[in-house]
Amino acid sequence: MPEEPAYSSAEDPQLVEWAKAGDMSAFEELVSRHRDRIYVRAYSVMRNEDLAVDLSQNAWVKAWQRLDQFHGEASFPTWLSRIVTNLCLDELRRQKRARMDSIEAMEETTGPVENRLEMETVDPVEGLDRQELRERIDAALAKLSDKHRTVIVLYEFEQLEYREIAGKMGTSIGTVMSRLFYARKRLASLLNETLKRDGLIE
Amino acid sequence: MNENETELRVQALVDGELTGTEAEALRTRIEGDDALRELHARLTAVRGLMHGAELPRPLPEPGDFHWSQISNAIQYEERQAKRLARPASGMGSLLRWVTPLAGLGCILLLLTSPSRHNGPPDLGILLGSDHELELSADEIDVMTFNTGDDNMSIVWLDYAIDLRPDTLQLWLD
Repeated sequence: MPEEPAYSSAEDPQLVEWAKAGDMSAFEELVSRHRDRIYVRAYSVMRNEDLAVDLSQNAWVKAWQRLDQFHGEASFPTWLSRIVTNLCLDELRRQKRARMDSIEAMEETTGPVENRLEMETVDPVEGLDRQELRERIDAALAKLSDKHRTVIVLYEFEQLEYREIAGKMGTSIGTVMSRLFYARKRLASLLNETLKRDGLIE
Repeated sequence: MNENETELRVQALVDGELTGTEAEALRTRIEGDDALRELHARLTAVRGLMHGAELPRPLPEPGDFHWSQISNAIQYEERQAKRLARPASGMGSLLRWVTPLAGLGCILLLLTSPSRHNGPPDLGILLGSDHELELSADEIDVMTFNTGDDNMSIVWLDYAIDLRPDTLQLWLD
């Protein structure tokens, strides 16, 4: 009787090869290793637990169907992260179509205000617990508009270049630069506010 | 270059999107401009803050359940793909070809029918001007409209049983 492969000790590339050959157990091990990361990326964009779960599940299904297209140029989780990000962008577009007016209205109301904001000084805050800072950044991200949050996630977390973001968001590089700039301004302002309020910075 | 464009270019420099002489020229400009230097410092600080700042979150459902949802979806998609890829067999295959051909034949018949050019069709009934014919059977839905003035007959027929002539009644209005 052939011995079962040692899934838990195998590296990702080996698991991917087994999965490509139709081994669902190898794929299950990949899911087990990277499911949290994929869920987090979906949550960062969508800010909705249920949607993030659904989209991350869909991403895994698509990954299984497209395994032949993965040739290892990037790491497996990076490749998968691109898939879930694309699904999130599709979902945002779908939501936008469903509520076209409200997003445009939000842009109109928040844009000019953000334009008037001065860039607040935010230092990397010596001594502040990293986890605490992450939580505050996360809370600030939740307050950004969909467009601003998405561009931040794609640039800072997904580590895409301006050109790639423009392609994914279906917009110009100039628009990406502008959105990123005002998103950062807003983020800095929100962070400064909360850190000052809690006495964590002067 | 207006102020906003300059700000965006400073950001591009911080993000490493400007290179070569363009980047060098902007660096020189920043060094001699307090406001740009401050902006550069602030953008750099924000970038520093964002590095690795994505808050880790555990999946809000058990891993086993998550996997079962994924594997069920994969199996469902594969069954669907197989079903669509499966070649039609027997009657299905025959119908796939016969149905469009029959439809095409009906259209050709309609287009080449002499009644189209030579007045109302010969139904064995002497028609005057406008008439509405109705066939009655519970299982059949038929409506015919004939107008001699326009040389046109329209027939709506919807049935799901075998037609038997002795079950039909014809009214002529």
